[in-house]
Amino acid sequence: MTLELNGLSKSFNGQVAVDDINLKVPAGSMYGFLGGNGAGKTTTFRMILGLLQPSAGSITYNDKKINYDVTNEIGYLPEERGLHPKLKVDEQIRYLGQLKGMSKRDIDTKLTEWLERFEVPENRSKRIEKLSKGNQQKIQLIASIIHDPKLIILDEPFSGLDPVNVEILKTAVKELNRRGATIIFSTHRMEHVEELCESLCILNKGKQVVSGNIDQIKSDFGQKEIIIEGDHDVEFLRNMPGVLDMKQIRRKSILKIEDEKYAEPIFNEIVKLGYFKRFQVNEPSINDIFISKVGHEL
Amino acid sequence: MSKFLATFSQTYLSKVRAKSFMISTAIIVLLIFVGANFDKIINIFDSSEEITTLKVESDDAFYAQFEAVMEPIETDFDVAQNDGEIGDAEALLRVDGTEPLAVTLEADQEIPGDQMTDIEMALGQVQRMMTIQSLNLTQAEAERLNASPDITYDIAGQDAEDGEASEEASEAGGEMPDINPLNTVIFYVTVIVMFFIIINYASQIGTEVAMEKTSRVIEMIVSSVAPVTHLLAKISAMISVSLTQLAIFIAAILIAIQLFDFSEIISDFGLEANDQTLTMIIYSVIFLILGLILYLSIAAMLGSFISRMEDLQQALLPVTMFSLIGFYIAIFNIWGSADSLLVRISSYFPLFTPFVMPLRSMHEETGQAPLLIGVAILIVSIILAILLAASIYRNSVLSTSNGIFKNLKRIRKE
Repeated sequence: MTLELNGLSKSFNGQVAVDDINLKVPAGSMYGFLGGNGAGKTTTFRMILGLLQPSAGSITYNDKKINYDVTNEIGYLPEERGLHPKLKVDEQIRYLGQLKGMSKRDIDTKLTEWLERFEVPENRSKRIEKLSKGNQQKIQLIASIIHDPKLIILDEPFSGLDPVNVEILKTAVKELNRRGATIIFSTHRMEHVEELCESLCILNKGKQVVSGNIDQIKSDFGQKEIIIEGDHDVEFLRNMPGVLDMKQIRRKSILKIEDEKYAEPIFNEIVKLGYFKRFQVNEPSINDIFISKVGHEL
Repeated sequence: MSKFLATFSQTYLSKVRAKSFMISTAIIVLLIFVGANFDKIINIFDSSEEITTLKVESDDAFYAQFEAVMEPIETDFDVAQNDGEIGDAEALLRVDGTEPLAVTLEADQEIPGDQMTDIEMALGQVQRMMTIQSLNLTQAEAERLNASPDITYDIAGQDAEDGEASEEASEAGGEMPDINPLNTVIFYVTVIVMFFIIINYASQIGTEVAMEKTSRVIEMIVSSVAPVTHLLAKISAMISVSLTQLAIFIAAILIAIQLFDFSEIISDFGLEANDQTLTMIIYSVIFLILGLILYLSIAAMLGSFISRMEDLQQALLPVTMFSLIGFYIAIFNIWGSADSLLVRISSYFPLFTPFVMPLRSMHEETGQAPLLIGVAILIVSIILAILLAASIYRNSVLSTSNGIFKNLKRIRKE
């Protein structure tokens, strides 16, 4: 039960939007697509859904091509939000639910559940155009997951929401994942990937920069971060072997080292100076990996 | 199929429940009922009241002649000699002189037009009789004076074996098409209804498609249902909405016929079926439905080109233009020859076929072949239009570039 992208490419009028993407999304995992604007996230999703034909490469879901026979198993929240403005919330959800092969009764039961979970049960018979942007987004998310899809693709699900609603939505997404759904989502917020995903793919200008299990990526990345906090002068550490960079903020020093093996000699050096409040070796952040691979911050 | 039905029922119900649909339907139904009672409405505003008795003040000879003339005319008032009293709803006709005839008509109220006409007609006849008498004409001379011209009517639906005269007339005027009033009515109704529905519903389906596209909900929809299925469901729903409206109008007309008496109007206009009527009805219905499908498919395709609602009217211009041209070709050629070059050529041009072919089907000499070719042309055009619409729709639903030509260029490249 996996989604596989092999050599996936897409160009528009000779301009390459997505260039040779190869990845595997394991069943039941939470997979993040990270990239700036124009990185090719939406184009990749549209190709997965069959809305765009790839220029090259293939996509398989459970070893089969994705077509309209399996769309009932897939839920999709597009990046560009939009619903029928004149319809009422329940009419809209009923219509989109029926397109996913649900019966009206099931839709009504599920809708009640989700509206309560998203704390907007009063919106049930309001017209879409009367809702705030955030509430419209909740309704659209309900529309994309109401049929309990096995594969959920969310394009920038948290953009434009206030922190309270981001939390509500994150909880819902985690819950769906716990119930067994494979979730792919795109974002340009590192902390969301860090918090939610087991695997990720960093895209830059259509190219796949790095992909796979986050822990694996971090450990393969090698670089570690050391935080030292104390009253002694540690400027000399800058010249120790394996130190790539060093920043000092008052009594706190942050070192980047090439590999974990250089941490021990540094530790041995500073204990000679005396008492230190803190010596901590951290995994690199996604941000560090991103900057190192892409060459600039997101 | 269930996805088709989901889109179909959603579009159909939301359109039928829309206020605009209900209001426009109610207005037309109201107009039908108002039209059916037009004579009664005129009577309400007509201040003149019918007279019941016309009293005549004259010598006995005039009275006798006038009474004799009035008798065969079916009037709703009585004629009596003046007894000196003029009551309500009575009028007095005083003869001031007989050579020439001069009369005065006195009444306390307005006399309705049809009663006036009856009186004037009778007076005219009395005067003619009096003149004949005063000239001392013989019986034969009087008959010659009264003889009416010999007119032969050669009108479709009337049997040509009526007499030699009609044969000759039809040979002499062979170029004139046989036009049966009922067939004309069917033709007008078909073409006008088709034009009305195309103009109204083309813009509606264009709006539907464009609105879905501009509101971006389309991306969710096409990730669940194939664009072709979705488009077909939308077009079918819109056609069903238009046919629903049509059915309501027809029902209103039938109810009006049941409730109010039209037999006089129908016989006045000679609305009788002839051999061609059934053929014509069948073809009119076929062309009406095929025409709607063709135009609505094209409108849906044009609607999917644009990405801003402001461009909709511009995008739908071809639909308005071609349907208007087709409509005019059909309407202005009804009294001409059905075989004119313009009619023949335009009847094979897919966008004009639905308007012009019903005109040709009115005439027996057209034969079945051109009509069947017309049906075939339309079916092929519809298939092509839908395939093209679906392909454009599929490729342009996710496009936000403006302008038809930019989109066409892009779609061709992909």
